[in-house]
Amino acid sequence: MIEVSGLTKSYDDFQALKGVSFKVNRGEIIGFLGPNGAGKTTTMKILTCYMPQTSGTVNVDGKDVNQDALAIRSRMGYLPESTPLYTDMLVYDYLHHVATVRGVTKDKIRERIKAACEMCGILDRVGQEIGTLSKGYKQRVGLAQALIHDPDILILDEPTSGLDPNQIVEIRNLIKRLGENRTIILSTHNLPEVMATCTRILIIHQGRIVADGTAAQLEEQEAENERLRVLLRGVDADVARLELGTLPGVRRAEVMPSVETGVTVIELEAPRGAELRSATFKKVVEKGWELLELARLQLDLEGLFRKLTREV
Amino acid sequence: MAETMTSTLASKPAVSPTAAVAGKPAVSPTAAVAGKPAVSPTAAVAGKPARNVWALAKRELGFYFNSPIAYIVITLFLVVSGAMLFVFQVPDGVGDFFAANEANLRGLFGPTGPEAFGGIPLLFVFLVPAVTMRLIAEEKRTGTIELLVTWPVTDAQIVLGKYLGAVLFVGIMLLATLPLALTVGGLGKLDVGVAIGGYLGLFLLGAAYAGLGLMTSAWTKNQIVAYLVGALLCAFFYFVDGMLGLLWDGGRDFFAGMSFKAHFQNVARGVVDLRDILFYGSFIAIALVVTTLSLQARNWKK
Repeated sequence: MIEVSGLTKSYDDFQALKGVSFKVNRGEIIGFLGPNGAGKTTTMKILTCYMPQTSGTVNVDGKDVNQDALAIRSRMGYLPESTPLYTDMLVYDYLHHVATVRGVTKDKIRERIKAACEMCGILDRVGQEIGTLSKGYKQRVGLAQALIHDPDILILDEPTSGLDPNQIVEIRNLIKRLGENRTIILSTHNLPEVMATCTRILIIHQGRIVADGTAAQLEEQEAENERLRVLLRGVDADVARLELGTLPGVRRAEVMPSVETGVTVIELEAPRGAELRSATFKKVVEKGWELLELARLQLDLEGLFRKLTREV
Repeated sequence: MAETMTSTLASKPAVSPTAAVAGKPAVSPTAAVAGKPAVSPTAAVAGKPARNVWALAKRELGFYFNSPIAYIVITLFLVVSGAMLFVFQVPDGVGDFFAANEANLRGLFGPTGPEAFGGIPLLFVFLVPAVTMRLIAEEKRTGTIELLVTWPVTDAQIVLGKYLGAVLFVGIMLLATLPLALTVGGLGKLDVGVAIGGYLGLFLLGAAYAGLGLMTSAWTKNQIVAYLVGALLCAFFYFVDGMLGLLWDGGRDFFAGMSFKAHFQNVARGVVDLRDILFYGSFIAIALVVTTLSLQARNWKK
C-alpha cells in the first residue's frame, strides 16, 4: 500500500535520511522507532506531503506523493509531533473546520464529528475551548482531527508523548481499535508501546532503517541473548546474584528492584543456546532456594534498540 | 463590492502560483482526484477550491471576533477616525470640520496632493498590518501550519482564504465608520458620489495593504517582525511619490504611478478609472503570488 524506496533528505549540509526503504501493507500498524534525530519525523513529513524528499520515491497505492499530493492527503490523517491545534477554537468548531477543509460533505459533518469524538472519548468536551484542555485531551482532539474524514491511512508522530500512564493505555487501545481496518504508522520512543500495539517494527538510526520485522522476527534475527527473570524468596540477594552469575555462559546477573518484601528478583542474560533455564533450575535445587518464578523474558527490545542505535 | 473583488482574485492567482513553482503543469485539485473513486465514503473528493477558501476565510474571521483583537482594533479605528473627522484640523487649510461649515468626509479620506498625508489611508498603514500580522506567522510559530498544509488544500487556496478573511475584516472596519458618514450627511448636504468613491478607494487601499501584510506574515514566525515590516512596506507604497518625488522631480509621475496615495486620491475624487482598479488588482495579485511562493519555500530546502 505504502512503498518507500531510497528516500533521502538533506537539510543544508545535514543529511537526515540516507536511503530509507520500506513497505507497508494494508491493515498493518507500524511502529517507527529510533533515537531523537534519527529521521522518524522527517520520514513522516515526507509521507504526509508536508515537504518533499531530496531523492527517492514514496508511493501510496502506486501514486507518487509529489504528483498526487492532494489525492493522497485526502485519504490520510496526520497527527504531527506536539499536536499543533488552534487553541482559540472550541473543540466542536475546530473539528467542524477540519471536516469542511477535509471535504466531508455537509450532511455528514455532524455525524463524523460525533463518531470521531466518541472514538477519542471527547464527546463531553466538544463545547470547550481547546486551549483550556489538558494535554491528554488535546492529544485526543489531535487524534479526532486526524480521524474526522475516516481516512484509511493514519500517520501519528509520537501520539502518546507527554501523557500519563492511564492516558497512554487509552490511546494505545484506541490505536489498536483504529488499526483493525486502517493502516497506521506511528512513531514513538516508548518501547513497551510498540510491543503492545504494533504488528511490525521499523527501527531507524542515523537516517537508515536498521531493523524491520515483527517482534518475533526481530527477536529471531537480532537478539543474540536470552534473558531470564528469577524470583527467589528468603535468600541473600548478593549471594544469589554471585552464585547465579557463575553459571556457564552468563554475561550479566543483576538484582532488580522487587515489589514484595523478602523476595529477590534477579535478571540473567546469556547467549542463546546456553540452556540457561535448566542450569538455573539445577543451581536453585542444589542450593535449596525457594523458587517463586522462573521466566524467560520476551524480546529485549530495549537491548536491541540500544545495540542497533549505538552511536557509531 | 467585496464579492466582485474576491471573485476576480480567486480566479487568477489560484492557478498561477502553483504552476509557477512546481515547474510542471498545475494539477487542479479536482482533476487530481477525479481519476479515481473516492476511497472512503466520507472522505469526499479533495478540494472544492471555493469551499476550501471560504472555510479558511471563515476561520480567520472567527478568530478575530472570538478574541478581543477585533473589538480593540475596531474601537481604536473608530475613535481615531471620528477624531480626525470632527476634532482635528482638516488639512488643506480649511480649518476644522465645524469651522469649514461644509458637510464633507475629508477628515476620513485625508488631504489631497503628493506631499500631504492623513486620514484613514494613513491610519490603515498602522492598523491593517496589525490585522494581518498573525495570519501565517502565528501558524508557523505554533506549528499548526504543518496540519494546514497537509490538509487537502493547495497553498494558493490557503493564501486566498487567509487573504479573504483579512479583507472582509477590513471591509467590516470600514462599514463600522458608516455612522460617521451618515452623521455628516445629516448635518449638511454630502456629496454622495465623492463619499462612495472615497469608500471604494479606502477598501481598495485596505485590500492592497492586507496583501502586503499577509506577504510579510509569510516571511517570519514572529508577528512583531511581520507587523513592522508590513507597516514599513505599506508606508513606503503610501508615501513613495511624496518621498522620492522630492528627491527627484523628474520621477514624480513614475512614483505617483506606484503610489497607493495617488491611486487612492484618483478613486476618492469619485472618478473610478479602470487603471486604478487594475493597479490595485495587480498589486494584490503580486503580493498573493509572493505569499504563495513564500509558503512553498519549505519545498526548496533541498
